[in-house]
Amino acid sequence: MKQFIIALLVLISFSAGAQVKDVTIQASGLTCSMCSNAIFKALQKLDFVDKVDPDIKTSSFVVSFKPNADINFDKLKAKVEDAGFFVANFTITFKFDALAIANDQHVNVGNTVFHFLNVKDGVLSGEKKIRLLDKGFVSAKEFRKNSSFTKMACYHTGTEKGQRIFHVTI
Amino acid sequence: MRHLILLLFLFSAQVAKAQELYVFTEPASNMSAKSIGIRANNYLMFNNSTKKVNYHLVPEIMWGLSKKIMLHAESFLSNRNNRFVAEGAGVYIKYRFYSEDEVHSHFRMALYGRYSFNSSDIHQQAIDLNGHNSGYETGLITTKLVNKMALSATASFMHATDNGKEKFVFANPNRNALGYTASVGKLMLPKEYKGYKQTNLNLMLEILGQVNLASGKVFLDMAPSVQLIFLSRMRFDAGYRIPLVKDLGRTTPGGFLVRLEYNIFNAY
Repeated sequence: MKQFIIALLVLISFSAGAQVKDVTIQASGLTCSMCSNAIFKALQKLDFVDKVDPDIKTSSFVVSFKPNADINFDKLKAKVEDAGFFVANFTITFKFDALAIANDQHVNVGNTVFHFLNVKDGVLSGEKKIRLLDKGFVSAKEFRKNSSFTKMACYHTGTEKGQRIFHVTI
Repeated sequence: MRHLILLLFLFSAQVAKAQELYVFTEPASNMSAKSIGIRANNYLMFNNSTKKVNYHLVPEIMWGLSKKIMLHAESFLSNRNNRFVAEGAGVYIKYRFYSEDEVHSHFRMALYGRYSFNSSDIHQQAIDLNGHNSGYETGLITTKLVNKMALSATASFMHATDNGKEKFVFANPNRNALGYTASVGKLMLPKEYKGYKQTNLNLMLEILGQVNLASGKVFLDMAPSVQLIFLSRMRFDAGYRIPLVKDLGRTTPGGFLVRLEYNIFNAY
């Protein structure tokens, strides 16, 4: 079952340029530059990645994408983990086109589903930074703390009826 | 002993940032998956009775199989018996089974196993699977990295078999020993990270010990070391092993370790 879900997750992606401007990933578990270099080289290997801008001091990487590429957030997280570390913070700079959102509700953006948590109901327009709260995209401690934001099961599984659900906040 | 512990605390209290890439021991952290590392380990150990320096060369290849498992293979060459010869080989495997990470910190635990073969004659009761004895070893590593400090400890069980035709010359119960280590590391330079091309300078202090489970004899060494990291991919280590307690016999307890290491990330 886990393999099936993983296979599904791999298929879900965004088109670059249209919506996702860039992603800032902060990794956890490291302080040294050789460790940072391992993550830097791993992220560069993804075919949809254009440029990776590292900040060794904060263990952060700003990732920008090739035009019209299929961006996969789960693959970015997997690369950090393959390098031997974990994701502490995953922030997406996203261009919204008058998207109506409500707290603790699913909303479709193209063929992707966002589940907004801990937000005020409203309309999102223009460039906004949204933060992924899914398991593995925040520290284990923070993931447990944030579980109070929703009672829906998709928070723990990352999916609903086979559809990948991205849990985000602003 | 008290002075040593005080030194350790003073050392660790001053750190701004720290490194866990120890010279004489392995941390609980793993290599990147799909990365390859190559090492040339050079041991220059002093023989106090013959007044000679024994040179051991241990070339090593390291392989990150997955994010949790890494494998090393090494061969043992030395000039201990007046000719520089290959004496054996060994494998080492590490499995990181626990990791709790926050920004700039982690707590990790790993299990490791080692199997070595060595054909040289045995002339000391202390067991060393990294260039003296055939046998196996299994152990647990715990490493704690926080912004200001990196501490690591290992505990292991080792068993010496015969070195091929060369028998283990002590009574059978002496084939078993427990190993224990404690390590601390500190990043000295750069004061501020600006890029991957900066050279890193790390200082380490390690305590390395063993107790023979039959005789109860102990050795305890202190090993300070200096480490340079170039281009965030190459390592140069220089360590000096100082025997403090020499009850458990060794012919060459003290000496230098000089290591060159090169890492290839995303090798395949």
